[in-house]
Amino acid sequence: MILTSANTLESREIIDYKGLVTGESLIGSNIYKDFFSGVRDVVVGRTSQYEVELEKARNAALKIMEEKAENLGANAIIGLKISYDNLGGTMGNTILVTAYGTAVKYE
Amino acid sequence: MNNMNFREREVKITYIKEALICIAFGTAIGLGVYGIFLRLHIAIFGWNLGLIFAPLIAGYAETYLANKIIGSDIGAISAYILFIDTTFYSFILKNPTLGVNIITFGSIAIILQAAFPTLVNYILLVGGLGIVSYFLGIFKRVTTYIYVKFEYIYYKHIIKEPYEVVIETVKIFDENESNKRINDLDFFFITSTDVTDKPITNLGQFHATVILEKDKRLVHADQKKVEDTTLYLLKEAKDDCLIKLAETIKSSGGNGIMDLEIEYGLIGLGGDSYRISTMGMGIYLE
Repeated sequence: MILTSANTLESREIIDYKGLVTGESLIGSNIYKDFFSGVRDVVVGRTSQYEVELEKARNAALKIMEEKAENLGANAIIGLKISYDNLGGTMGNTILVTAYGTAVKYE
Repeated sequence: MNNMNFREREVKITYIKEALICIAFGTAIGLGVYGIFLRLHIAIFGWNLGLIFAPLIAGYAETYLANKIIGSDIGAISAYILFIDTTFYSFILKNPTLGVNIITFGSIAIILQAAFPTLVNYILLVGGLGIVSYFLGIFKRVTTYIYVKFEYIYYKHIIKEPYEVVIETVKIFDENESNKRINDLDFFFITSTDVTDKPITNLGQFHATVILEKDKRLVHADQKKVEDTTLYLLKEAKDDCLIKLAETIKSSGGNGIMDLEIEYGLIGLGGDSYRISTMGMGIYLE
């Protein structure tokens, strides 16, 4: 499955537009992650724990999206968009990761 | 009467003078102790023990003298003075680049323990026990129990309605069904900004919004279930929002949308609702 944020697939011809495919994943509250990210906020630096969680959530969203594309008979997704939205929560830590794009079939 | 006020004032002034002498004595002893610790380099892992002992001994010396000349202690004020002095000297003047490590945090905890024993003990007991109980789930069980009890009283005695226990169950979102629901609308959802080899009529910008109210309950038996339910509702609301957008464009003579964007956010007082918006350029695709 080819994933691209571009409008076309270079050197490949799109023969069919299969439709919209989306995938969502939510990162919720976690005392360990929140505590250590809080410590990092104080001492300044990268919060690897959050980075790992975000990566996991992004991969989960992409996987759901790819499975949907396969079910539609597509072999690529163009116009791919990934967004991270903070949805509040106890400490402002509920993050929704969304991936969506147009499922296409190329030759 | 005037004579009485004068005597009271005199007693007060004498008390303040004696208290100041005791504080000065305690502070001087504390500084002396700290000086000795510095001079003799009495330290563990590079961290001078005078930071703990100087405030303690200052407070002790002050209290000792106050008991002798006033007859009661005056609050170990010199210990606080020493705490501020030594911390300022050691952490800011002497070692402004003090590393962030377990020794530093341990040292700060010990200094605070020496200077503010009641507060630090409270934090250790309440905070420490709080963390342990959180991991064991005791805190959650206790608060849920209290919440359910209060909810029962509220329903029975205040709003006088039958109280029903709602069992939280999480529905599994059917991704395939959702996929079919969106892509069987006879409508083109296109996220890219161009459709090659096909003539397009541009109908302008369109958008649709769905507002989803947040669950207002403060206590939940299972936070994970709440998050799963939230995700379920957000996915459902997103599908509704896409369908709403498609219907709007269809009513304007279109059959698709390009450069589709899906946005999520919070809206309302204190962000008490979720906002799901979809937008893009309505098109007629031949």
